[in-house]
Amino acid sequence: MSYFIQVVVDGLSNGAIYAAIALAIVLVFRATGLVNFAQGGMAVAATFVAFALTRAGVPVLLALIAAVVFGFVLGGVLERVVMRHFEGGDPDTAVVATIALLVLLTGLSALFFGYEPHPFPSLFPNRTIGFLGAFVSLRSIGTIAVLLVIMAALQLLFRYTKLGLAMRAVADNPQSSALSGLPVSRLLMIGWGLAAALGAIAGVLVAPQLFISPGMLDFVLVYALAAAILGGLDSPVGAVVAAAFIGVVENLAGAYLDFIGDDLKIAVPFVAVIVILIVRPQGLFGRKVTVRV
Amino acid sequence: MTKTRNAARASGVVATVGIAALLVSGCTRDPATGGPGGDDSGASPGITDDSISLGISSPLSGPTAGPGSCTVAGLDAYIEAKNAAGGFEFGDGKTRQVDFTYLDDTYDPAKAVSNFRQLVNDNIFAYVGALGTPTNAAVMPIAEEEEIPQVLLTTGARTFSEDQEAHPWTTGFVPTYATEGRAFGELLANANQPLTVATLAQNDDFGQSYLDGFNEAIEGSQVEIVADATYEPTDTTLDAQVTELAASKADVLLSAVSVTPLQVGVLTKAQSLGWLPRIFLPSNTSTPGTILQPGGAAAYPGVYTPSFSKNPNSPAFAADEDVIAYNDAFTKYGSKIASTYTPHCTWSYTEGAVLDEAFQNMEKPTRESFMTALKSISGFQAPLLLDGITVDTTTNDDAAISTVQLVQYDGQAGFKPVTAY
Amino acid sequence: MNTFFASRPRRIAGLVVLAVVLVLAPLVSSPYINYQLSSIAVFAVAILGLNIVMGYTGQVSLGQSAFLGLGAYIAAYGVLHDWPPVLSLVLCAVIPAVVGMLVALAAARLRGLALAMITLALPIVGVPLARRLTDLTGGSQGRVVSWLRAPEATGLANDQWRYYVVVVIAVVAFALAHNLVRGRIGRSFAIVKENEAVALSMGVSPYRTKVLAFTIASLLGGVSGFMYLAVVQYTSPETLTFFTSINLVAAMVIGGSASIVGTALGAAYYVLVPVLAGQVNSSRTALISGAILLAVLFLLPAGLVSLPRRLASLLRRRPQPAAGAPTPDDATHRAPASSTATTE
Repeated sequence: MSYFIQVVVDGLSNGAIYAAIALAIVLVFRATGLVNFAQGGMAVAATFVAFALTRAGVPVLLALIAAVVFGFVLGGVLERVVMRHFEGGDPDTAVVATIALLVLLTGLSALFFGYEPHPFPSLFPNRTIGFLGAFVSLRSIGTIAVLLVIMAALQLLFRYTKLGLAMRAVADNPQSSALSGLPVSRLLMIGWGLAAALGAIAGVLVAPQLFISPGMLDFVLVYALAAAILGGLDSPVGAVVAAAFIGVVENLAGAYLDFIGDDLKIAVPFVAVIVILIVRPQGLFGRKVTVRV
Repeated sequence: MTKTRNAARASGVVATVGIAALLVSGCTRDPATGGPGGDDSGASPGITDDSISLGISSPLSGPTAGPGSCTVAGLDAYIEAKNAAGGFEFGDGKTRQVDFTYLDDTYDPAKAVSNFRQLVNDNIFAYVGALGTPTNAAVMPIAEEEEIPQVLLTTGARTFSEDQEAHPWTTGFVPTYATEGRAFGELLANANQPLTVATLAQNDDFGQSYLDGFNEAIEGSQVEIVADATYEPTDTTLDAQVTELAASKADVLLSAVSVTPLQVGVLTKAQSLGWLPRIFLPSNTSTPGTILQPGGAAAYPGVYTPSFSKNPNSPAFAADEDVIAYNDAFTKYGSKIASTYTPHCTWSYTEGAVLDEAFQNMEKPTRESFMTALKSISGFQAPLLLDGITVDTTTNDDAAISTVQLVQYDGQAGFKPVTAY
Repeated sequence: MNTFFASRPRRIAGLVVLAVVLVLAPLVSSPYINYQLSSIAVFAVAILGLNIVMGYTGQVSLGQSAFLGLGAYIAAYGVLHDWPPVLSLVLCAVIPAVVGMLVALAAARLRGLALAMITLALPIVGVPLARRLTDLTGGSQGRVVSWLRAPEATGLANDQWRYYVVVVIAVVAFALAHNLVRGRIGRSFAIVKENEAVALSMGVSPYRTKVLAFTIASLLGGVSGFMYLAVVQYTSPETLTFFTSINLVAAMVIGGSASIVGTALGAAYYVLVPVLAGQVNSSRTALISGAILLAVLFLLPAGLVSLPRRLASLLRRRPQPAAGAPTPDDATHRAPASSTATTE
């Protein structure tokens, strides 16, 4: 029994890593209507700022704040200087532009810090506590707690604040938002800035486990994308629930289904996601989108 | 109609560019690069009276770029230092400068083949030291067919080292993964007591060879594998695997993990579950500064690793002549290519010395002569190798370095020798 | 009528010159150049498939590398069991097409990102699966083959022979695709891309059209896998990684979405830019590739295929587009329905 609980707990702490990035994907999708491959690159670049600061002796919490500020500026600048150029054009071109940014940011991070992973100090104490016969690290608990706070904040932002509602309107339909007097370009810039700032938090949360390197989030991004889409892409709660689901299902399959084993366990959540999407195309928590004619 | 004109113009542009490209490359179809040998009167491609050119393709970007860059950086450091000191002396009495070209293949076999072809097209004499099992496997048939040396590869895959009669132009440099696994197995088997082992292995040739070597050595002994797990290099964490293995409460954990953060994760996770086995780590993921200290390895009753090369960051070797020479050369040349140390940096530096040795015995400026010289080195105590470890290229069924010493983590920044379990 | 006569001979002349270049190129080029040209042909066919499903039909696919890898594995299995190459080629087309069709039958009711997710799962699951099925795939060691050697009678070197094999396949694939997108099916692709509700009202089933587009894309992906094995002579799980799919998507957009000529240019980009980046500085390939990709997107949002048009408009200095200023005009003006024609 304690083994079962341990497997679930391990799954949840993996899920927390996916959820951190998935939330950033949801934010950028809600704010810009785009899937942003550069998300991972921006998060890593901001986390490297925190890394450089901690290496210079700055406390982790201060470094985190600096990284968040840097992320916000970076996101805003990239939107203004690069992405602005592709808005209103073919969405495929815009998505490929985010791929270009990802490659470029990865190259830049590697230019300064190399490709080899570096250890990163944790915000939380490096201890474990017992829980129903299983062991949980304080780092995972702390990560999950921060995520829940961010999730709630995002939910509030998009549901109740003027800024959040305006950002949603811009993402849904830029033309009519502009006609109704919303400052579309400034809102898009803020959206990108917030997404990158959130990426910085996510990066600092997961870096102690994954180690900081330019490719740190390459593969996490795949899981996070799956979580964001399964959760319905525009729902912060959905993304977190879906990420936890993916982490736990993957671990349970690896632990209990012998023919799946450790190598194919990744297939289980993905197949589950596919089945769920076929039954419920809008995702677990997504709004049903009606087709425009 | 304008659209049709556009297309016509487009195909016109394409055709013109094509013809221009042909004219530029027109004279490059050179029989010497296609077939073996060259003319009998003289030298192989890539060697003149005062220079010889070598090439390598390794992953220099992407997830494997850390070790990949090091396979270039250490070798570059040796070569450039030697070039600056006047050059390499050859068995034919001439002194030559080595011209070293490196390319990035991002661990993609198709790019590795493309890079190899490009290097051959640019007239390299030999292809040396490349990292990566799939990339080198893709290059090997071409190297064999065109009789171009593909030597001293920085991969412990058995394919390149264990059947050199089938592919005489290819050799491996570092001990095979099986050799490392066997060293662990022998230590346990010789302990002559019932021991339980849990294994964690990368789901590929690296992990499998490791286990093969280990299993060969423990056959018929009192050592028993009681739990096993595998992982993919792309996995985010190995917590689930460690949890599964910890349930076995085995005495020993063989952790054939080649990815730095994952190996650190294994060390932290096992102790957080209250499982403190003796731990065996591969030579490429046992650096104290980047793995053992962050992973809290001092908590375990014993952390063992196979070693054959001196760690230049270890205080124990701070006054060692080889290490001082390496550090000088690396700071001056290699550090431009690789910014962080992995053991591959020292390995490829040693590889430079092995090439040097082969050059000194190479009587004619031909690839055949080079291969003969390279395959007749034995008992060579190359720089940075631990005492007692020597280079032996005369056997056809093993890598140039075929022995390892087991060492034990001393709880700080270095290792101490091991004799028994 | 005049323009018709004026352009047709030029068009034919252009094609003849192109054909001559394609035939003569391997005879005078080094094995290295031939390898690069052959690689371009390989990835051109993979991108052609991607362009049919994404560029022409507007459905996101992040799974093309899985079909490329599947085709390469089928061909390698064929070499191991001494199948005639033609049989391998047929199976490399049919099996991936069937797999693609089955996936599409389940997934084609979805749109946008949900569809992207499902296609993304193919390489993600495919890589560990390829490692698991060692008997079929050779596991993580992959399969080294030595096949399609030049027949003695031709007097050609292996690299030249393999070049001709893959270029002939590519030319046939391009000719068929060209006819397909200009015909009735191509029109239904364009309508589905533009507006599925309109498609329904015109009697075109979006579902069946999408399944068809996916099937063709998978078929071409499989064929490109056959060509991959012919050129590289090796395949391993690395062939199907998800990052290859992403790079193929980027190359398709860079070449020119919904454009046959653009597809070929995108393949050239895919193969040559890493080589170029390596020439500049091997340690900084990611940085250089990213910068080039972004620069091309800035200057030519409609892809490399719009370069002649763009140059022409710069040279003629027509009054309407502010001459020389890199505006995103091309992207916004390019309506999907008309883009089929611009390429021809």
